[in-house]
Amino acid sequence: MNKNLSKVIIQIFLISFVFLALGPILWAVVTSFLPLSSLTAKPIDLDPTKFTLTNYVEVLDTSRGLMSGLINSMIIATFTSAVALTVGSAAAYALARLSLPGSNAILLSILATQMFPGIVIAIPLFIVMSRLGMIDTHLGLMFVYLSFVLPIVIWILKGFFESIPIQLEKAAAIDGATNTQTFRYIILPISLPPLFATGVFAFIESWNEFFFAIILTRINVKTAPIAISEFAGQYRTLYGQMLASAVLASLPVVILAIIFRRFILEGFVEGAVKS
Amino acid sequence: MNRKTRKYLSRRDFLKLGAAGAGTLAASNLIMWLSGCTQGGAGEQVTLNVLTPAAPDPAPPGVAEFSMDAFAQWQEDNNAKVVYESPPWPQLHDKMATNFASGQHVHDCMYNCGWVPEFSEQLVPFVDDLPQELMDDLPASSFSTVTWNGERLGVIFTLSLLTLFYNTEHLAEAGITAPPKTWDELKGFAEEMTKDGRYGWVLNYGAPEGIGGVTSYWMVFLQQAGGTMWDDAGMPAFNTSAGVDALQFMIDLMPFTDPGSISYVGINDATNVFTAGQASMMMNWPFMWVPAQDPETSKIVGKVDTAVLPAGSAGTASIDGTDAYTIAKTSPEPELTKKLIEFYLDKEVQKRQVIDTGWLPIRLSVLNDPEVQAAATNAKAVLEQANAPYDSFVTPDYNEVTDTMGREIQKALQGTVSAADTMATCEQLVTDIVKQRTG
Amino acid sequence: MSRTSFFSSINEIRNAGQYQRSRLKMGILFTLPAVIILLAVLAYPIISSFILSFQDVRLAAGGIVTEFVGLDNYMRIFQDAAFRNAFNNSIYFTFVEVIAVTILSLGLALLLNHPIGRPAIYRVILLIPWALAPVANAVLWKWIYNANYGVLNAIVVGLGLSETGVVWLGSPFLALNMILIADVWKAIPFITLLLLAGLQNIPRHLYKAALMDGATTWQQFVHVTLPGLRTTLIISIVLQSIWALKVFDLVFVLTKGGPADGTVLLNFLSWRVTFNYLNIGYGAAIADVLFVLMLLLALAYIRALRPRTSARK
Repeated sequence: MNKNLSKVIIQIFLISFVFLALGPILWAVVTSFLPLSSLTAKPIDLDPTKFTLTNYVEVLDTSRGLMSGLINSMIIATFTSAVALTVGSAAAYALARLSLPGSNAILLSILATQMFPGIVIAIPLFIVMSRLGMIDTHLGLMFVYLSFVLPIVIWILKGFFESIPIQLEKAAAIDGATNTQTFRYIILPISLPPLFATGVFAFIESWNEFFFAIILTRINVKTAPIAISEFAGQYRTLYGQMLASAVLASLPVVILAIIFRRFILEGFVEGAVKS
Repeated sequence: MNRKTRKYLSRRDFLKLGAAGAGTLAASNLIMWLSGCTQGGAGEQVTLNVLTPAAPDPAPPGVAEFSMDAFAQWQEDNNAKVVYESPPWPQLHDKMATNFASGQHVHDCMYNCGWVPEFSEQLVPFVDDLPQELMDDLPASSFSTVTWNGERLGVIFTLSLLTLFYNTEHLAEAGITAPPKTWDELKGFAEEMTKDGRYGWVLNYGAPEGIGGVTSYWMVFLQQAGGTMWDDAGMPAFNTSAGVDALQFMIDLMPFTDPGSISYVGINDATNVFTAGQASMMMNWPFMWVPAQDPETSKIVGKVDTAVLPAGSAGTASIDGTDAYTIAKTSPEPELTKKLIEFYLDKEVQKRQVIDTGWLPIRLSVLNDPEVQAAATNAKAVLEQANAPYDSFVTPDYNEVTDTMGREIQKALQGTVSAADTMATCEQLVTDIVKQRTG
Repeated sequence: MSRTSFFSSINEIRNAGQYQRSRLKMGILFTLPAVIILLAVLAYPIISSFILSFQDVRLAAGGIVTEFVGLDNYMRIFQDAAFRNAFNNSIYFTFVEVIAVTILSLGLALLLNHPIGRPAIYRVILLIPWALAPVANAVLWKWIYNANYGVLNAIVVGLGLSETGVVWLGSPFLALNMILIADVWKAIPFITLLLLAGLQNIPRHLYKAALMDGATTWQQFVHVTLPGLRTTLIISIVLQSIWALKVFDLVFVLTKGGPADGTVLLNFLSWRVTFNYLNIGYGAAIADVLFVLMLLLALAYIRALRPRTSARK
């Protein structure tokens, strides 16, 4: 195929991707700057003079709890993803390489916990946690999120660890490395892209989780999604404010993505295989 | 060097950090939990936990901004601290169900909306102990939705009945001088005003269940046609000409109803269409008067008015929004909680409730107060509506019944099933549901 | 794992030398924290909900009252038209979503792996739909799909494709597909990221070798890329199936299962029965059926596309 033509086609696809990915978001941002009367007008009244910051002002009002919600979400998401990666990568490596007996059964059971619809474990889980006094605590929510996120982390990382050429580990073993050293110094550094992918996954899942956050918290550990959903009432849904708060709540994740973009950028396998 | 790479190269350090962090959190949580346990000690400040929706849904002082000084004063006078938990409205029922299922004491006072019979075993029948002065000032019929098995388990705190909202400009354009008074007029007017991309009628038929769902709307028409939901044995009694006529009327209105109605799940979706001037009439709650007069949300400020719902063959009728306060049986402080509810129903607080937040009071004396009538010009219509029946027919299986019927009614509204067949199917399904509960 | 092979591996371990034993110890040590966390949090609730599914559970003063009813709840499932409806909807939904997400994500991953698509900005853009809270996402799409003032209708009418716009959430099948679109949009970023990481894991020299053998782009894709992505693809498909079957927020916010139960999915049905109707036993039974369904699905995938444990040549 003509090289230039394929370049053009690729550009077109990229632009469509950007448009489709950002389109709805852009609409959310526009909505957050307009009053409701403009948005429900037909045709939609996009008069720039009507653009207003009142939605953002009202959303940042402390009584709405958005700021504390962001902080709570930040704490919970960071700890959850950090612990999930640590514990999960170790387990994934063990299941991939350290030939445990019954590893297939363990693997399937771990994945099986994912398959349980959360809705139904909510009540027993609430009962247990309230007896342990862990309702409305950061730790309680973190543990629950860990249990949701770990299976995925383990499954994905196991797949990647398996696909790492075995020669690498054999070479390390010959050089006298222990299992832990092999894991820490050989496997992990070259697995940064999948590690990052799962880390981001764990972070976002904990950041955005809603149902259990509602059931297991009351006042002190209100997370960002709860603060956002409060704008959708029974009698009135304050669309502009809700989308404003959603935009604000998504910012930390996006900023983190920008900071860590390097890790989704380059592959590290080349260097590893060569050596 | 960023945190993420570091931790892989020194996992032990990170684990230490993580353990320290987790330990601190656990310790602080433990302290908070322990301190939370020490409530109700002799002469100590008592904490009352209250579950309410978040504003702008009906909320008490402290959640909604009104009577804040009086509220602070009340807490001081009674040596109490009121702690609010205000989850988003859709989660209220879920939270209450979970809390009740655990059997633990979580809240003392809870907002309830049509779930009183459902949770009747968990609630305290405190109404009989309320002061006579208060009881005399409350409409007797407001207790019908919070009474079960002869016990009165809650108090409605806002007069919230569906009334007719209409666009005066559209009516004037069509040469109509007064809002519709009968079903025929409603249908005729809706037909006349359906033009230029606008529709005569809009309502949220998308939600099947609950107060404000499509089934509850049908119940309005059911009562207007002289029908009723239940017989004395608690069995369905709606598969009558009244029930069929009510549904048929809704079907007949469909050509003049905004076609999106079947997809509008919340009342605010329908209200948005109305306040944008895209529909001429609708049924709505008194509270909606507020956003209709707000230029930020409404394009028809000053062009909207409210009236009593058009009468069917048996006159006009409506349903109750059933916003009530209840007390949990697990509460260690039922007396104090009752006093808190009395505070919410205090004359001055009720007055501020309507003037500052738009939720009408329930006290008859406050409703008739000229200051209130001046501030809430829609109060008159609602008061008039309150002279007619407004039963919401709430039972313990209200959710399941309205959900099941709602599905069938939606099919009828889409024209796939006839009104008569729908009523027959509903009767059978609802009988099954009731039999399942009563055994 | 069969009984005999389990015992034979125990014997193997007993007879193993120092190296193997230390490997085993390491293996257990590495796996233990994860297993402990999962057991501690989920064991009781999962077992509890299984038990509840065999009971008739009612709310009563002071908690719940349970009565053993054996298989009654499960029998009811097979006679329940609402369940059949939810089941069909879920199967359709999952099937279409997995296919759509896998194909689109693969294409996107290839795009972002290409030199032109390399700049970090594209990866950041990729993350944005994912970063949006699901609650906000649901409300946003409800806003976009609104029949009267939604922007989708504004575009459709503006482009002249329709006179009055479409009631997107007004007919059962259409509403189901609109929810599908919203969920696919939200699901693509993660799978793309996964496949991207997988693509980068494929050794470059394999491509060079293929090129030297005269392979075209398409042949390279089929013979180098796809096999290299095999494990990642399987994981993606399994995960996406599980998540498609667990969709809840979108249904709850956009349609509440309507119109006329057209968008009721199994997870939503389980919630409705458990929390709305307070029929906790029956809701648990539905959830358990859903669980078994997912388990069978996962097993089927894994068996049908059994990956080799060692790296392929």
